[in-house]
Amino acid sequence: MDQFRRIQTGKKGDIHLVLLKDKKILDDTVLDEIRTELTQLIGKASGPDMLLDFANVEFMSSAMLGLLGQLHRKITKGQGRLKMCGIRPEILTVFKITNLDKLFSIHKDAPTALATFT
Amino acid sequence: MAQAPEGIVAAANATGVDVLIAEDSRIQAKMLQKRLLDAGHTVRWGENGALALALARERRPDIIVSDIEMPEMTGYEFCKAVKTDPALRTVPFILLSTLSDPIDIIRGLDAGADNYVTKPYEPDYLLGRMESLLATPLAAADDSGDAMLEVTLAGQKFRVRAGRQQVLNLLVSTFENAVSKNQELVVANQELSVARDDLQKSNEELTTLNAEISRINAHMVRDLKAAAKVQRSLLPADDVEIPATSIAWKYVPCQSLAGDFLNVFPLDDEHAGLFVVDVSGHGVPSSLMAVTVGRFLTPKVSDSSLLVRQATDGRVSVVPPAEVATQLNKIFQADEFSGLYFTLLYGVLHLPTGRFDYCSGGHPALVRVPASGGDVEFHTTESFPIAFVPDVEYSQSSLQLAPGDRLFLYSDGVPEAMDKDRNPYGDDAMAACIAASRAASIDVGVSTLLEAVENWCVPNGPLDDVSILGVEWRP
Repeated sequence: MDQFRRIQTGKKGDIHLVLLKDKKILDDTVLDEIRTELTQLIGKASGPDMLLDFANVEFMSSAMLGLLGQLHRKITKGQGRLKMCGIRPEILTVFKITNLDKLFSIHKDAPTALATFT
Repeated sequence: MAQAPEGIVAAANATGVDVLIAEDSRIQAKMLQKRLLDAGHTVRWGENGALALALARERRPDIIVSDIEMPEMTGYEFCKAVKTDPALRTVPFILLSTLSDPIDIIRGLDAGADNYVTKPYEPDYLLGRMESLLATPLAAADDSGDAMLEVTLAGQKFRVRAGRQQVLNLLVSTFENAVSKNQELVVANQELSVARDDLQKSNEELTTLNAEISRINAHMVRDLKAAAKVQRSLLPADDVEIPATSIAWKYVPCQSLAGDFLNVFPLDDEHAGLFVVDVSGHGVPSSLMAVTVGRFLTPKVSDSSLLVRQATDGRVSVVPPAEVATQLNKIFQADEFSGLYFTLLYGVLHLPTGRFDYCSGGHPALVRVPASGGDVEFHTTESFPIAFVPDVEYSQSSLQLAPGDRLFLYSDGVPEAMDKDRNPYGDDAMAACIAASRAASIDVGVSTLLEAVENWCVPNGPLDDVSILGVEWRP
């Protein structure tokens, strides 16, 4: 059932629900594994809807933003929607400094975010 | 099916003999029992000396094999009981001993044992001993067992009661045991010798591999050093001098190769350019991208420079910061493979007027320290990092500096530096630190900030590259 090490996945309708398992996303190995697993999850599906939940994440390197950028481009290219939720204030700062809080669709928690997929 | 040894058959005048085992280990007993049954013998088993003695009195066995360490009644006691029982005294008695102490032999002699087999034993070896013991039966009339023998061992005198035949049997068995152990030792020695040869071979292979690793490592260290040298070429020249300014900078990569770099240089007679770039991540991929970005951020007129351009009439003009950022973003279109991106703060200072045009690509805000003594200010332009969103138009802002105003550009390694409990240093502490040294030189201002960051990170040190660039306008 639990085929991934770094992410926990589920589905609500057509929306992929992805929970990042790690508390710390700091070193490159973890980052590469998350990237690989997300790629595996999306597979060849063109532009799926996805909700990425950061509730577990306490520390995150700015390199993670690059990964989110890749994911965002991939999903939006296929007319899909990527939304994020559960981001702690400390981590949200990183999004704000880089203005990426304006690029990404960021919501307080999963229910709030899910309500915006209409 | 194993054939019963000939001697036993002869002694018993039948296909098998009646064997009595005294052994407290059920597993040992079962193993021995199976081996003896396979050889065609009759087997009875007592869990200790007392039980075995009862079995022996119930029916006289042809031979007894007994362990020594047993509850209730030890093998020695059991043996003594057998050898002092007129009905049983001629039954050959084999003790299973570890023979770890010479005293064991004396004890065996005293108990009247006929034979020793050392543990652990090979079942075939035990069967062989049974065979030879049964082949030389004790004469029932051998009453020399009543004579007392005096033996000195390890400075101690022992008086034991033993018959000649028994002493002979026991000593021969002890000797045979020694010979057998010796053979085992020879075999073990040979095996050890083979193992040693293997080990030596593995060792040689390891040495070869180690040399290979050292060679590769030396190669990598050399490459890293070369790369670090290339990277240092992205930093301000040692002798950089820009009219109407004082400049200071610090650059501390957290690994040998960094994602950060910074520079400050004259663009023409009236303009100076300054920037801090922070490529996401660390190590080789980030530093390669940094070097590539650096090629475009050069003040020398060239095909690759984005900072200055030469018109057809030969006149050189300075490219506005927003255009530089927009061009960079076009060149480094979102890298699908590595996910690398960078943030940039680039500004152009007009030296005669103090007008500062700047553009931020997702970079931390620049800090202005007004010479007037007012509060430290943060300034930025709202835009995304470079190589993040394709085809974005970057915007720029301007600041009018007053004489003596200072600007600080830095990478996120400064405000986001974490202490041992992972608390960030923060914008407020940074602003306070910069303000506190405003009366000192810009050199002191920059050094003080770096020291503050490093102190914040004690004992782990900064986990990110730290870049600080300070400029004071002094027309």
